Amino acid sequence: MAAVHRRRVGHHWWGLVFVAPVVAFFAVFNLFPVVFGFAISLTDYDLLDPPNFVGLDNFRNLLDDELFVTAFWNTLAFVAGATFPVWVLSLLAALLFNQVFRGRQILKTLFFLPVLPPVVVVAVVWRMLLHPNGIMTWLAGAFRGVTEIQWLTSTVLAPLAMISVHDWAVIPFFMLIWLAGLAGVPRELREAAQLDGASPLRTFWHIDLPMLRSTAVLVAALSTINAFQTFALQYVLSTGPGGPADSTLVLGLLVLRYGFQYFRMGDASAISVVMFVIILAVTTIQLWFNRRVA
Amino acid sequence: MSVRTFWRAALCGIAAATFAWSGTSARAEQVTIKVWMHEHPPRIPIDKQIVAEFEKAHPDVKVDYEVIAVSEYATKLLTAFAAGAGPDVFNQTVSLVAQYYNAHILAPVDYAAMGYADEKALNSQYTGGFQGIRFGGKLYGVPTEVSNYACYLNNDMWKEAGLDPAKDFPTTWEAMPAIAEKLTKRDANGVPIRRGFDFDWPSGPVYWLTINTMMHQLGASLVDESDYKATYDGPAALKATQFLVDWVNKYKLGGPQYTDTRTDFLGKKLATDCSFGIWGIPQMHDAKVNYTVRPLPRFADGKVDEGYDSYAHYMMVNARSSPAQQKAAWEFARMFIDHAAQLFKGAGLFVPRQDVIPLASDADSMVFLNELQKAKFAPRVVGYSQVVDVLTRGRDRMIQGGEPVASVVPSVNKEMDAVLRREKARAETLLKQ
Repeated sequence: MAAVHRRRVGHHWWGLVFVAPVVAFFAVFNLFPVVFGFAISLTDYDLLDPPNFVGLDNFRNLLDDELFVTAFWNTLAFVAGATFPVWVLSLLAALLFNQVFRGRQILKTLFFLPVLPPVVVVAVVWRMLLHPNGIMTWLAGAFRGVTEIQWLTSTVLAPLAMISVHDWAVIPFFMLIWLAGLAGVPRELREAAQLDGASPLRTFWHIDLPMLRSTAVLVAALSTINAFQTFALQYVLSTGPGGPADSTLVLGLLVLRYGFQYFRMGDASAISVVMFVIILAVTTIQLWFNRRVA
Repeated sequence: MSVRTFWRAALCGIAAATFAWSGTSARAEQVTIKVWMHEHPPRIPIDKQIVAEFEKAHPDVKVDYEVIAVSEYATKLLTAFAAGAGPDVFNQTVSLVAQYYNAHILAPVDYAAMGYADEKALNSQYTGGFQGIRFGGKLYGVPTEVSNYACYLNNDMWKEAGLDPAKDFPTTWEAMPAIAEKLTKRDANGVPIRRGFDFDWPSGPVYWLTINTMMHQLGASLVDESDYKATYDGPAALKATQFLVDWVNKYKLGGPQYTDTRTDFLGKKLATDCSFGIWGIPQMHDAKVNYTVRPLPRFADGKVDEGYDSYAHYMMVNARSSPAQQKAAWEFARMFIDHAAQLFKGAGLFVPRQDVIPLASDADSMVFLNELQKAKFAPRVVGYSQVVDVLTRGRDRMIQGGEPVASVVPSVNKEMDAVLRREKARAETLLKQ
């Protein structure tokens, strides 16, 4: 009995030894920065002098901080533009490519291409396309003789340009998730509905959509988190990170600005903590909603 | 010899030996100093030559030399200082030195280690350039570059427009739009396809220099450095800002949507640019630009005859390094500044030293030197990056957002003031620690 117990304990220890490197890696490179970041958010720290404990002052100050308020609303606007249209358009694309038609595979591959390059590459390419006298101006103004459009230097057009480029790049990715969800819908259910005389729209509404609920939650959660964390697009595509006039300044960019341009590490960490709480709350609500509807 | 005399002599001997030992104790062993410099390609071979000469002259000192890209230099310096791994000797622009001073990073100049009797002896080699690195009456570094901008004219483009670069360059800002219009080429819709003159909009620091210079010309200033107070208000602020806004929105002669002016001038897509220093001359030769240099225009009703604000790069020593490293670092700084003439000839880095000034006697260089004598330093404040961002945000609100100058300028001033108040309070807290 004792020998069996010793063997079990031995196995147990070997297991711990094997997972230890991964746990240590996670602790050092993930857990520690999160905990350290939270600790720094309670201090006034400029990198050069020792951190000075200020309690919750950094969080309180955010409420009166115009830059934070601007970045917060800009982020919310970006999230709205980078989620709802993405859900609808990616679902429509998935429904299209779920049909059987000639050249479907080639078209699907072409449609998926924007997902492949990194965001920075996408931003650099679009920066050229959206030059005031560039191709997009030529396309948009071809019939009206316009030769200059301030896509990225107008405070109105620049945020819309960010959303458009983002959606262009991510819709194919979410289309694939919808396609995987659609593949899981039993064909018999659709066939039964069709036999009963249901139109394609009613079939989609009453058969496909309810069956896609968990896929919808996944798409919603991933796209929302992705949109809240946006950074590279605004950093590279805008005219000066966050410009013009901070119209494309988002929370991720503000963390960089406070941390490494203004050297206000405490404020930067406080914003990171706020972002973490917002994303956690949104994801929790989405999961709760899914369970409730189920 | 009495016993007392013997003991006295012995004690004196011990004291002398101790003194002698302490004199060299700073470098009883091999010392390594870390030298960090921002990237300026023409300077790098000269840096390496100086390092080799220094190591040969100081066999007990090893130099660990590193060049860092300009875009990441400030951040890398700060993170290195934060981690206690900062360089022992480094260069940096004047706009950021106030932050280092407040954080007790800077060691005061060690004249003895540099081989000078005192500050007067060091100063005697220069005609200026130390204003940016003096805090509380003490010097904390030595200048490695002192510069200001003036206007470069592309002679070929000026002649093509029927203008004589030697005679027709305007002396006032008021005359500038008409001349720029003559030099501008537009498409059928009136969109400039080649600009005649434009301000360097994409760069926040250059915008700060430009508006501060214009305010200086009108007898005002953007910031009161001594009181840490924003002074971007009043008629001078409104006039300078309105001129810049009109340049884009009324005259449509350029704007933030264009490529930076230096790139376009060297690429022959811009006829006139006022954002190069004396260091731009070798670049003009490399780009085969046939050029003329002219002083910056002034406002017709300006109160001060002044061109662009001057700025400088300083070589500084880390106060947190060991005494032996600090001593070696100042010795290195001395060797570096003694190569000032070579640094000017080979890398275009001008310092107002007695041995460099005669090398800048051609007509183009003299424009810079004459302007430098009249120039003020841009204010040194902690929170500089934040103030620049506030200014450029205000600029975008007016130029791209269409908000009126009269309402934006006061709000920008208020925002700048809040930043300066906050940073001053922080700096004072740190200085007390």
